[in-house]
Amino acid sequence: MKKIMMVLTLSLVFILAACSGGNSNPVDGSQNKETEKTGSEKSSEKQLVTFWHSMGGAGQDALNSIVEDFNKSQDNIQVNAEYQGTYDESLTKFNAVAGTDSAPTMIQTFEIGTKSMINSGNIIPIQEFVDADGYEMSGLEKNIINYYSLDGKFYSMPFNSSTPVMYYNKDAFKAAGLDPENPPATYEEVEEASKKIVAAHSDMKGFALQAYGWLWEQLLANQGALLLNNDNGRSKTPTEIGWTEEEGKSILNWVKHMVDDGTFANYGTNGDNMVAGFLAGDVSMFLQSSASARDVIDNAPFEVGIAFLPHPENKERQGVVIGGASLWMIDGKPEEETKAAWEFMKYLQTPEVQGKWHVGTGYFAINPAAYDEQVVKEAWAEKPQLQVTVEQLQSTKPSFATQGALMDMLPEGRKITEAALESVYNGGDVDEAHQNAVKQFNEAIKKANKARGE
Amino acid sequence: MRMANSALEANETFMYQVERVKKKNRKLSFIKGMLFLLPSLILFSVFLFYPMLKTIYLSFFLTDAKGATTVFVGWDNYKEIFTDSVFLKGMKNTFLFVFYTVPLTVIISLFLTVIANEKLKGIGVFRTIFSSTMGVSVAAASVFWLYLFNPTMGLLNKFLELLGAESIGWLTDPDWALFAVSVTTIWMNIGFTFLILLGGLQSIDSSLYESADIEGSSYFYKLRRITIPMLSPTLFFVITVSIINAFQTFGQIDILTQGGPANETNLIVYSIYREAFVNYQFGSASAQAIVLFIFILLMTALQFKLGERRVHYQ
Repeated sequence: MKKIMMVLTLSLVFILAACSGGNSNPVDGSQNKETEKTGSEKSSEKQLVTFWHSMGGAGQDALNSIVEDFNKSQDNIQVNAEYQGTYDESLTKFNAVAGTDSAPTMIQTFEIGTKSMINSGNIIPIQEFVDADGYEMSGLEKNIINYYSLDGKFYSMPFNSSTPVMYYNKDAFKAAGLDPENPPATYEEVEEASKKIVAAHSDMKGFALQAYGWLWEQLLANQGALLLNNDNGRSKTPTEIGWTEEEGKSILNWVKHMVDDGTFANYGTNGDNMVAGFLAGDVSMFLQSSASARDVIDNAPFEVGIAFLPHPENKERQGVVIGGASLWMIDGKPEEETKAAWEFMKYLQTPEVQGKWHVGTGYFAINPAAYDEQVVKEAWAEKPQLQVTVEQLQSTKPSFATQGALMDMLPEGRKITEAALESVYNGGDVDEAHQNAVKQFNEAIKKANKARGE
Repeated sequence: MRMANSALEANETFMYQVERVKKKNRKLSFIKGMLFLLPSLILFSVFLFYPMLKTIYLSFFLTDAKGATTVFVGWDNYKEIFTDSVFLKGMKNTFLFVFYTVPLTVIISLFLTVIANEKLKGIGVFRTIFSSTMGVSVAAASVFWLYLFNPTMGLLNKFLELLGAESIGWLTDPDWALFAVSVTTIWMNIGFTFLILLGGLQSIDSSLYESADIEGSSYFYKLRRITIPMLSPTLFFVITVSIINAFQTFGQIDILTQGGPANETNLIVYSIYREAFVNYQFGSASAQAIVLFIFILLMTALQFKLGERRVHYQ
């Protein structure tokens, strides 16, 4: 026993020593990089730009090829795109290194991180570059300008934007006697279609909804409901939630009906499993970001249809909120470096790049001029589904609801609504789930305001 | 009289000097002792005491996204977490998780150890296999199980299908999720527990078994009267470490369920992580960490008090 303890103590010491060694390593690493940097600067005079992004899968391939094109297109700037995990993970890492030398030159952050990036004080508003450069932002999609400009000021550069759409299996629709060219548009129609699908295919469920807070926000916006009060936090700091009981419960009840009918496929919070289930023919309809459009269409062994986000029958469709992410310029970097990053940001807005981006992923082009590009026209002729995402955005009615919410506690809010959705998926009571979610959401808002000293 | 006095005085000076030398020696040995302790003291201060004090400090504040303190709130963070349904659920699930994993891990490992302790040809192969999960990292093991649990192409559901049973949402059904995570954890921990127990078993004096053989005792009698008691210090160690480990489970949760479905597997360390790095509430995350620390401390103290009595040290 004594021996064991001794061995354990010894190994503990070694582990601690290794930890301290590990801690010092990154510093060495960055120093090495530093010297390499100066070395390469001397040899080729290239300005390095570090770009943190969160694009995995097909998005990463498309982004890497864009960055490569940019690096080849000129001799002065070298952009290094570094994948940093999901938006959440990347933001956490950024908060840890903000203000130090390890911080990147620019970072891609999701739309709900907008407020917390502004509050962090570690960023330079893009508006400063726009003004200094006389750059024209009005060419961008109007809904995007709507979301990202606050009091007429751009804090970040819009980049990848998507909207939620409903993917459906056209072959399964045909076999169930449903019209594949006329997909269900309302909650009630989705319920009916699901029943028919299940009746026609014994091993296929009708509909899947990933427990994802973003979809909750979108389903609210589509009914014209606000997520937060004070005009979704756009006129004043929000003090509580903005949706009514009826609006919130309509979503939960919709799911509840399908769970009770046995037509709902529960994939929890895992979007990948849901897509895999759809591709394997386990479920006939699901909601997800249009950003996966290219992936899903290319990998499905059947014909994939893409439809607008459903809405309750008694409410008119209001449209969707811009999802996706924008690019932020980090403060405290040498002027040449930020300027180089600005050049790269401008490059990303060009119609050619946006056209390539739209076709390669399913994110829509934030610069509508891209839709006149040849590559987009060809892709649309071949895959008309890609066009639906653009149509949905352009038919959106501008309002506070579809402008989207602004608040720094939104990531926490998403987790709360996800828990509510999941409890209903598993047979939980709708009233109770809704009541809990509202209570927790309000508490989180209160706490976030208190932490800012408001 | 005078002489006696001076003798007494001399004695006193002598005594005084002895005291002084003793004091000096004590001082010297104290310094020597501290020198020996210094490396671990420094390591502990840097990696344990400082973070600990900082955590206590943070738990009385609200913070911004970078973790800088903004508003002093006193005991509010503590009061809040005990009315927070997510935290309380996490607490309950953590205890359930400990209850599911620790006894089963120890019993299965003990069984494997006893059969792997037989002197047979090729037993080394089995020992290697039984302890192999120790070499698998938490991340690799979790991803491996994630595929087994996959609802569409997972092996487990395929088996159920073959048997004609309804497939199970291992990680999405609240009735199964904690069980699924527990199975993964047990599988991962068996390697380590097995290895430690085997070491303990091998160091039992063989003469005890020989005497028992001469007396003609049965296999199970020997197991009950010799193996288990002689193994008790190792068992005690393994149980203590397993309980602490189970309380601190994180990797499996993050990869398998992210705390879902509906916080059903949101164990306390994962909840701390989420509070700090998703919600950016470092204050209440610190408060949760302190509460967890106190729980583990109490559990371990209790174990030493109750468990040690039954432990037989040689």
